[in-house]
Amino acid sequence: MFIDRRLIAQFDWPLFVLSIVLPVLGLFVLYSAGYDPDLQIIPFNFEQLTIQSHVFLKQLRFLVVALIGMFLGMITGTRTWYRFSYFFYVGVVLLLVAVLLFGAISHGSRRWLSFGAFNLQPSELVKVAVVLCLARYISKHPPKKSYYGFKELLVPSLLFGLPMGLIFLQPDLGTALTVGAIGFAMLLFVGIRPKLLVGFGVMGVLAAVASWFFVLHDYQKRRVLVLFDPESNPRGEGWQIIQSKIAVGSGELFGKGYLNGSQTQLEFLPERTTDFIFCVLAEEWGFAGSLLVVGLFAFLMYRLLRVVAKSKDLYSALVVFGIAVFLFFHVVVNLGMVIGLFPVVGLPLPLLSYGGSSLLTVMFCLGIVLGISMRKTVFTSS
Amino acid sequence: MYAYEKTPLNLSSRALWALGLMLFCFVVLLGRLWYLQVIRGSYFKERSENNRVRTQYLPPPRGKILDRHGEVIAKNRPSYDIVLYVTEVGDVESVLQQLAQLTDTPYEALYAKYEKGKRVARFIPRVLLPHVDREIIAKVKANRWRLPGIDVRYRPSRWYVHGDLAAHLIGYIREIDEAQLKSPAYAAYYRSGDLVGKYGLERKWEQSLQGRRGRKNIVVNVHGVKINDLTATDPSYQTEAIAGQSIKLTIDLDVQRAADEALKEIKGGVVALQVDTGEVLAMASSPRFDPNIFTGDLSAQEWSDIVSGPGKKLNNRAMQGTYPPGSTFKTIMGIAALEEGVVGPHETVYCPGHYTFGGRRFHCHKRSGHGNVDLKQAIIQSCDVYFYVVGQRLGVDRIHDYANRFGLGHATGIDLYHERPGLVPSTAWKKKRFEGTEQEKWYPGETLSVAIGQGANLATPLQMAVATAAISNGGKVFKPQLLKGIYGAEGTFQDESFSPEVVGKLSAQKRSLKLVQDAMVGVVHAEKGTARRARLPEEWGIRVAGKTGTSQVVSLAKKGESKKYEHHAWFIGYAPADKPEIAVAALIENGGHGGVAAAPVVRQVLEAYFRKTRPVLVENSSEGIVPRETTEGG
Repeated sequence: MFIDRRLIAQFDWPLFVLSIVLPVLGLFVLYSAGYDPDLQIIPFNFEQLTIQSHVFLKQLRFLVVALIGMFLGMITGTRTWYRFSYFFYVGVVLLLVAVLLFGAISHGSRRWLSFGAFNLQPSELVKVAVVLCLARYISKHPPKKSYYGFKELLVPSLLFGLPMGLIFLQPDLGTALTVGAIGFAMLLFVGIRPKLLVGFGVMGVLAAVASWFFVLHDYQKRRVLVLFDPESNPRGEGWQIIQSKIAVGSGELFGKGYLNGSQTQLEFLPERTTDFIFCVLAEEWGFAGSLLVVGLFAFLMYRLLRVVAKSKDLYSALVVFGIAVFLFFHVVVNLGMVIGLFPVVGLPLPLLSYGGSSLLTVMFCLGIVLGISMRKTVFTSS
Repeated sequence: MYAYEKTPLNLSSRALWALGLMLFCFVVLLGRLWYLQVIRGSYFKERSENNRVRTQYLPPPRGKILDRHGEVIAKNRPSYDIVLYVTEVGDVESVLQQLAQLTDTPYEALYAKYEKGKRVARFIPRVLLPHVDREIIAKVKANRWRLPGIDVRYRPSRWYVHGDLAAHLIGYIREIDEAQLKSPAYAAYYRSGDLVGKYGLERKWEQSLQGRRGRKNIVVNVHGVKINDLTATDPSYQTEAIAGQSIKLTIDLDVQRAADEALKEIKGGVVALQVDTGEVLAMASSPRFDPNIFTGDLSAQEWSDIVSGPGKKLNNRAMQGTYPPGSTFKTIMGIAALEEGVVGPHETVYCPGHYTFGGRRFHCHKRSGHGNVDLKQAIIQSCDVYFYVVGQRLGVDRIHDYANRFGLGHATGIDLYHERPGLVPSTAWKKKRFEGTEQEKWYPGETLSVAIGQGANLATPLQMAVATAAISNGGKVFKPQLLKGIYGAEGTFQDESFSPEVVGKLSAQKRSLKLVQDAMVGVVHAEKGTARRARLPEEWGIRVAGKTGTSQVVSLAKKGESKKYEHHAWFIGYAPADKPEIAVAALIENGGHGGVAAAPVVRQVLEAYFRKTRPVLVENSSEGIVPRETTEGG
């Protein structure tokens, strides 16, 4: 639980810089998304600093908290994560059950546990818990041959399947799918017998078809259908898709200029501070802005996978890989959603979307990765 | 622990695979972004512009309607509506309930208005209460905090300054209907929701009065709330509305008011013309409606009351009501008889009170008979027998010819819609009308009815006024004229080229006309005249010429059973008798005797006219008007 000089020498500066640059970029975009010309907040009575965006200030506060979280994630030793993986997991699963029983209902689903002063959204913790728990299980039970067989997959599948199911019941499709993606990707990373993969593929399709008829809610189905023909219901389900595409497309090559996106500023864009934050950037900064953000995320993935590649032990590699998949899945699904490739699933864009829970979780995860990356040489020798 | 041991798995190659897959996904995303932002960028740019820029139409102020002296009859004034913004209302039901309580309106009515607006886009405010008064505006404004989404909206609205004055002539405006929108005359310019002239002069002169709407591009947010004015940066985003042209009528407000007043409690029509121009000084019809109610929110009940209720208020009796002209027709008969030489100017006919023809007995209205009467006395005393004889001598077709030349039997051509032509029977008419039936043949007995203005004879008060003017002016039949000029806003344009239009000239000899004119003076001023009630105050020194008429609705037998079958009362007249200026025709439906019911109406109109044109003369005389004795006759 301390950082010595050898660790600092190993510090992954590019990853750290990325972890700061992206949320700061997010603050800029959020400032515009929440820009209110009638609002004037003058901090410290210093007029040059007049702030005209509420969400900007709030996110700034969240960022400070998230940086502390990141620091905590960083200084905690890998060994500690390993040791507490299962406890953490069990605790989070219990919280999920508690949410289903006592959670506060908002927007038609139970996602929050209210503790008076603050609200807890366990589904954010689940992603971390599943990564840590699966990493420990897999590193402890690696495939006996070069691939996992069917029987070997039962326990790890259950490990991520259980919280996935609980989240799905809230219902929170986006997070459930994220957990599923993380679990599946981590298993695949170690290796799954090719025949089984084909089998899973077929089962997956069958499950999708079955869920269409028996599991998915009507609003979820409409979100999928409207993707193919948003103009069929331009003022209802299609509204978000149409308006976000207009926002993104109308940015053209270099955008309409900061604080100048009409879709954003005139409120045509729904959820513009949260799930559709990318549209704000794409509208005001154009394709150049899109390229910048996608490029930064690609670079982030590269830095994360580099840590994976350089890991000397499987647990560290799997933790980092799980986190990479978590972030990647969010980015791809979110971007795919705002540009009309995927149905509208409520997943925020990591580090850019407004929201304390999400920012804290992601920064905390990046903190874990930073910690792992600087400790890898230390632990190989023990 | 195992976990910390060096793993046998090749992490690098696995990480590389993963990275490859991820980068592939990013490239796909970038490809899609390139497609949206660069390839289709301009399309989406345009759509975002369509989102934010909304064209606001600026309604043009409608042209005013003025009387001949420039006094305002119809103009525009601000009006306030209570509207609802659906996007801001929240709990509609509770807000509407509060509003209902506040304004004393049934909740159901408000809710119905709200429901009715569901077809239009959400950002367009729905009018809940149109045209509310100041008290309600104040109440709503004071309670705004508990009425989210409710607002007061200004719009210019038409105001008929004198209420129902000349309502039939002026007409009214109302929202354009579907049928009009589709018709070629309107389709090019008008849009749903526009106000158009629906009746009267408002309709006839719609093109001039309307003006041209302007437009202005504004920036709105998703709720349709105006954020910005594009005009501030680029004036080309705005085109100003062009105000409608004002029309100046030939109507004299005071004469018109007198005509309206005279008809207040009775059904009928009055027309006053300038005899040497054909300019309409007044055109009144009763019962009237108040055109102002059409700017508000008319209930189905009120609407049907006006359109089809008792009294048929929308019927302009002055030019759409056709009635047998009765004895007023004797003036035309007299001229025809003299011109055709069927009677001498002083030839007398003996009236025993009836006339036997074809084995049938035709009564004079005076059963005791008039004794020996010449033309002048026949007109003064309205002797029917004299004109039975004259009619028989003339024959129906010659009667028809003369009536026709006086403007009867065909529309006068006044600039209003739906003028009725009336009817003057002839043998040709009857043959055509009853072709192939036993009735197609003309019976000489029928001529007798026509000769005293009964039978199939039908005329409008307007036609009778035109004919009266023609008798007084030496035979010129004018097209009645309503417009004196058209003026653009602030003197930008003016057209005063409206000049009298003579559509017919009666080639009658002066002395024939003179004789009938003298007889008409006698009707009013002679001892035995039937219309002594038409006299003006003696001190004014203005003599009136006229003729009464009492036209039968049904056979005499039914008379008295009900007011419905009471005779229609006519009076036509002009003044001053020696130098005519104004001709007036009045018809009172079921009014009884012309001399009793219609003559005073004409007198009131004449009085108003001379009070206006001869203020000095009128002032010098004593004010009171001595009631005159009743004179029998009709």
